[in-house]
Amino acid sequence: MNNLKTGNTFVFNPEIDANYLNSLYGDDYMYLQEVFEAVLDDYQSLTDHIEYSYSSGNLAALRSAVHKFKPVFGFVGLTAVQQLCQDFEKTCDQAASPGELSGDYETLKNKIFQSKQIIEEEKKNLEVFNNNCS
Amino acid sequence: MSLSCIIVEDLQVAANYLRNCCEKSGQVEVRGHFSNVTDALSFLNSHTVDLIFLDVEMPGANGFELLDQIAFSPKVILTTAKSEYAYNAFQYNVSDYLMKPFTYQRFLEALAKIQPSKETISTNSATDHIYIKTDGKLIRLNNDSILYIESMGDYVKFVTIDGKKYITHNTIKNLEEKVSKQHFLKVHRSYIVNLHKIDDMRENLLFIKGNEIPVSKANKADVFRRLNIV
Repeated sequence: MNNLKTGNTFVFNPEIDANYLNSLYGDDYMYLQEVFEAVLDDYQSLTDHIEYSYSSGNLAALRSAVHKFKPVFGFVGLTAVQQLCQDFEKTCDQAASPGELSGDYETLKNKIFQSKQIIEEEKKNLEVFNNNCS
Repeated sequence: MSLSCIIVEDLQVAANYLRNCCEKSGQVEVRGHFSNVTDALSFLNSHTVDLIFLDVEMPGANGFELLDQIAFSPKVILTTAKSEYAYNAFQYNVSDYLMKPFTYQRFLEALAKIQPSKETISTNSATDHIYIKTDGKLIRLNNDSILYIESMGDYVKFVTIDGKKYITHNTIKNLEEKVSKQHFLKVHRSYIVNLHKIDDMRENLLFIKGNEIPVSKANKADVFRRLNIV
């Protein structure tokens, strides 16, 4: 991992858009840690909502659940995942049934799972970083 | 300027971020955060605020349903960016949209849009007229000549007895405080009517010279109080 403290700068996981995070939070890493914690607090329920909507075959609910989750990835700098959600919403608009989405859904689901691991790891690294700075 | 606001948002990280922006700005005091429409409505039944940061898609009820049920007309900044809400946004006098996550700079730009437009109208509720600024000039409108005033987003339309329409940059909320209380009453978040011009009322509609004006549930009691019902 590249999440090493270098001077007073935190080095983010390469999946995370550090410039984007800087535009939102500047160099307030304490606040950023709070953001990561808040995101993880909501993560499971947001994931469950997507999975339930998909398994129940409700396209509108699925689109809505993904739409709701989408900005969460932006808040933690996972802008590519945010874009993936955006693309999936469009796919939902064009699909006639959830079955048509199975490939895209699996891709999104896996990405959401991987993202959680990244966020958890990054939260731990931020804790260490902030403790070292205080 | 210090505005009071509430945040209606079910995404905790977004609500926290918004609160942080408000506190950082020093311009907005957050009176509460509500993660559903029911709780927000309960608060707004006994409190007024200048501004609501409102997410539209929330469990249980749509954010616009909240606006339908409150008895006053706060400024609204939507924290969503779905284009299908554009029509509703226009109807509900929404000042701006913030697509989550937004930068602090973008937040400040949204706040700037809700500054009251003090220079576009000169009124005196004690007199029998108002002046409105339209087409680069000040036009005098006698209270008796105005049928009703309709919201058009950041603008309002004055409809007069001679069938003319005057559009000026202002809001129903701002006008509500400035027009003669003796003549005018807000009957809906988007309408102020001249009480002396009402021809009849049927259920939730007022009729003024052939124009249908909706009356909101929240304002209906006020309308009945002000009409001279015998």
